[in-house]
Amino acid sequence: MPEAVLPKAKLYINDRPPLETPAGQSLLAALKEQGIFVPSACGGHGVCGLCRVKVLAGAAPLTAREEALLSEADRLAGMRLACQVPMEGELRIGIPKDFFNARDYKAEVVALRDLTPDIRAITLQLHSPPAIDFKAGQYIQVRIPPYAQSRRTLYRAYSIASPPSSRGRLELEVRQVLNGVGTTYLCQHLALNASVVFNGPYGEFYLRESSRPVILIAGGSGMAPMKSILDDMQARKIRRNVRYFFGARSRRNLFLVPEMQVLEQNLPDFRFIPALSKPLPEDCWTGETGLITAVLDRHLANPYHGEAYLCGSPAMIQACIKILQCKGVAEDSIFYDAFA
Amino acid sequence: MQTNDSLSAIEKTMRRTSAAREGFLGKDDRSLAAILQADDDAVRRHGLTHAQIARRLLDLRRAGWEGQGEPVALAPHFEVSVDAARGALPCPFGDQGTIAKVNTTVRDLARGRQITFSDLNIHMIEAHGFYEGRGAPFRLDPEQLMDTLAIGERDRE
Repeated sequence: MPEAVLPKAKLYINDRPPLETPAGQSLLAALKEQGIFVPSACGGHGVCGLCRVKVLAGAAPLTAREEALLSEADRLAGMRLACQVPMEGELRIGIPKDFFNARDYKAEVVALRDLTPDIRAITLQLHSPPAIDFKAGQYIQVRIPPYAQSRRTLYRAYSIASPPSSRGRLELEVRQVLNGVGTTYLCQHLALNASVVFNGPYGEFYLRESSRPVILIAGGSGMAPMKSILDDMQARKIRRNVRYFFGARSRRNLFLVPEMQVLEQNLPDFRFIPALSKPLPEDCWTGETGLITAVLDRHLANPYHGEAYLCGSPAMIQACIKILQCKGVAEDSIFYDAFA
Repeated sequence: MQTNDSLSAIEKTMRRTSAAREGFLGKDDRSLAAILQADDDAVRRHGLTHAQIARRLLDLRRAGWEGQGEPVALAPHFEVSVDAARGALPCPFGDQGTIAKVNTTVRDLARGRQITFSDLNIHMIEAHGFYEGRGAPFRLDPEQLMDTLAIGERDRE
C-alpha cells in the first residue's frame, strides 16, 4: 500500500523563504510548530482575540468569531486571528520581528513568597532551554493547566520582575484577581517544585536608550516590570535621573521597600517615592499620602523634559497621563503597560 | 430580540467555550431562555428595565474609576472600588469586540454587604438582559442587585 500523501500548504512569513506545513491546521498551530509563538490567552479557541497577525494574501474569508472579535480598523489593516485562519494553498503573513525571539520554556518553581495579602512572588528556575533573553519590562505568557476552576489549558500574561542578567531564573509578581482563573492558579494552587511552562518574551514596554530623566509610576503588581528595569539599570551601570512613584493603599500593600532602598544607594540619581492613599494609624506613616496623581503633580517639575513609564490599573494610568501632559511631557515619551 | 434557535446556539457556545469551569451558566440546569425569562420577570416586577439597571451600574463604575484602584466613598453609605486585570473578554452573545476585565466592587457600609460586577456584566445586562446562571462566579441575582445597590424609584426615569 502506498503511503497516503497528506496535503501541504505553503506559508510565507515576512520576507523569509516559504515553509511547508500540513494543510488544514490553523495558522496559529502551524506557527507554533515552526517555533514561532504568537501571544494567545485562550490557547487557540477563538475566544480571547489576542492572536492577531497581518495576513497579506491567501486567507479564507473571516470566520464568525473574527467578525465579532476584530475591530473595523483591524479588518481594514488586514489583521486576522491566527487561530481562525486555516492553512491552505499559499498564505502570506507579516509578523513583528519580536515574535521570532519568543520560545517555549519549561521551568520549575523554586521559591514562593507572599509580598502583600494579595501579591505573590514566584521564582522560576528555567530547565529547557536553561536561559532566556529579554528586555527589562517585557512579559511572558504562562500556561495555566486545567484545575478546579478551569476546564482547559489557558495562557495568561505576566511581567517579568527579575532583570535580564538573571537569564536562568525568572521572578514574577502576581496579584490575585477576584475569580481570575490564571491568578487564582498561580497564587493559590501553584506549589514549590511544580513545573511551569511559558512562552515569551513579548511586549514593547521597556526602557528606551537615552540619557533623559525618567519617571516610573506603578501600583500593585505594576511593580514587576519597574523592578526589572531598575535592577537592569544597576547591572548595566546606566546613570540616569530616575524618580519612581509607587502607590499603595496602606503599609500592608507596600512591598519591596528594602530592595528599593538598596537601589537608592547603588544608583547614583534614583529616588523611590512610595505614597499611601489611606495609611492606617498603626502604619505610623510619615511619607507621601494621597493618590499617586496628586503626589506626581507635587513632585514633577513643570515643564518636565523626560520620559515616563507607567504600569498599573487603566484608571491610574489614564489619570497620570493627564498630569504628565499638563507638565509638557510629549506623547511619544510616555510608555505604559495598562492591565486592561 | 434573539430567537429560541439562536439562544440554543449561544447556550451551547457558552457551555462549550467558557474557560472558567463554572462559565456563564454555572450549575444552572435551566435553559438560557428560561434564565433570561426569570430574570426579566424579576426586573419587571420592580417596574424597572435592564437598561436602567445597567445605567446605575455604569454610574457606580464611573464614580469608582476616579479612585484609581482605591475605594471611593459614595453617599449615602457606599464605598466603590474599580479594579482591572490584564486582558479582555468577548461577549458570549457574539457582539462586536472584546470587553476589558474591569471589576467594580460596591460595599454597603451600613448593611455590611458587597457586590462585584464586571464591565462584561454591565454590557450583558444592557444588551441582553443576562445576569448569568446560578452558581456562575459573576452571577448577579437581579433581586439581590436591586436591593444591595438600592436600585428603585429614582432609577425608573
